[in-house]
Amino acid sequence: MSVQTYLEEGTLTNETWTRALTDGTLLGQECADCGHVTAAPKAACVRCGSRDTETVELPTTGTVYTVTTVHVAPVPFDGEGPYDVALVDAGDARLMAHVGEAVEIGDEVELDGAVEHEKGAGALFSPVDD
Amino acid sequence: MARAAVVGAGMTKFGVHEQPLQELFGEAAFAALDDAGVGSRDLDALYFGNAMSGQAENETHLGPRMASHIGAAGLEVQRFEDACATSANAFKNAVQAVDAGVHDVVLVGGVERCTPETGKDTPEMTRIFASASHRQYEQPTGLTFPGVFALLTKRHMHEYGTTEEQLAEVAVKNHAHGRLNPRAHFGKETTVEEVLEGPVVADPFRLMDCCPFSDGASAVVVVNPEYAESFDDTVGVTGLGHATDIVPVADKVEPTATQSARDAAAQAYEQAGIEADDADFAEVHDCFTGAEVLATEALGLFEDGEGGPAAAAGKTALSGETPVNPSGGLKAKGHPIGATGTAQIVELTEQLRGEAGDRQVEDPSVGLAHNLGGDTGTTLVTVMEETA
Repeated sequence: MSVQTYLEEGTLTNETWTRALTDGTLLGQECADCGHVTAAPKAACVRCGSRDTETVELPTTGTVYTVTTVHVAPVPFDGEGPYDVALVDAGDARLMAHVGEAVEIGDEVELDGAVEHEKGAGALFSPVDD
Repeated sequence: MARAAVVGAGMTKFGVHEQPLQELFGEAAFAALDDAGVGSRDLDALYFGNAMSGQAENETHLGPRMASHIGAAGLEVQRFEDACATSANAFKNAVQAVDAGVHDVVLVGGVERCTPETGKDTPEMTRIFASASHRQYEQPTGLTFPGVFALLTKRHMHEYGTTEEQLAEVAVKNHAHGRLNPRAHFGKETTVEEVLEGPVVADPFRLMDCCPFSDGASAVVVVNPEYAESFDDTVGVTGLGHATDIVPVADKVEPTATQSARDAAAQAYEQAGIEADDADFAEVHDCFTGAEVLATEALGLFEDGEGGPAAAAGKTALSGETPVNPSGGLKAKGHPIGATGTAQIVELTEQLRGEAGDRQVEDPSVGLAHNLGGDTGTTLVTVMEETA
């Protein structure tokens, strides 16, 4: 499905966001009033309250803002061994992501699919090969 | 303006308890009522906190059950859930209701069981704790609660140079305080070396950087100012700030600022007519060592970036310039989620009365409580002062 199809579906919902993610596309919302870009769709802008937000495609490469290696994991991630979770700056948006390999703050990462569990889908990033 | 006063305080020992929720709550409630000299039938209302016993123990609609267990059946009961800030929010609403003249005498308290006594093991309880993170945009990444504060602390280390050794000093200090508190979950001291050799939970946090899963209950009796005059040992509530912040973490303006704490502190200080420097001690929400560093900065006790060095320099120790967590904090006293907020109020009450025994702060007149919920999405800051 083309990106344009997602963008034309109107208000960005979790269902659309998740479907796009599993297709390799990262969607967000840009506020027409304050310019805040979020990667976690909401009914109104989380910074200024405006309902005038537009669905936008986010870049699939980004920079690690902060990262932790989770050793004590919750169900259903227990038993998988340590893994990284990071806040990734992708363009003007920031999002929580699962990272497939160990990374550090400032590292360049790229979208590498989705982590799919019963809880839904989360963005999976991997380091950009130099 | 005279505001509500705390006239009675009590809590269970925090730790591992076999007793069901109502029995734990009853122990804390009777301790608070007896301390105040108030009977169950004298109460106008119960403001009650429990965060997650629905998930952990399949127990909900706890308000009437708690009231019934303590001989107060029929009482008006409000139940609160705000993750780890649950019972501070119960306390705020109780104080506001008393201030507004809705009630004269109320009981405020909370109870929680988080240990394997609930039947839930660590991965299951870690999942339940993570339920306070965003279900759609955070939980699917495998984020945990230690993970949330690890992300904030890692960024703080990157920006300010906070070190793992400084974090360990927070744990060492709070364990030293907790050893002096007979109701603390942990009664032993630790060392920086021991903390740094522990297994990693979510880096930079090792086991001893994290508060334990605990069971326990706490309660206080709140009365209106006129009523307070007939009590001995009253402690005044002079400021109560409550703020929330953006959820999820990724959309927060500056995650390491813990903005809800800054906003709640500003409200509480303005109401009390104080500055951060006027605080003689503080109980802060040290669910993780890094959370205490962020809290002491957000409260204005130290400049941004100075929280770690201040802890390492002993400034927040019982003998330091501003003792932080004289009770041992969540780290050593324990953290039964829904009981933590009012347990901080219990500590402020005992400290300001001069009844804290071996952990007594030297002659305090102003105390702060900082109770944080979720990913810093909720914070309540309370100012309490000794009554002249």
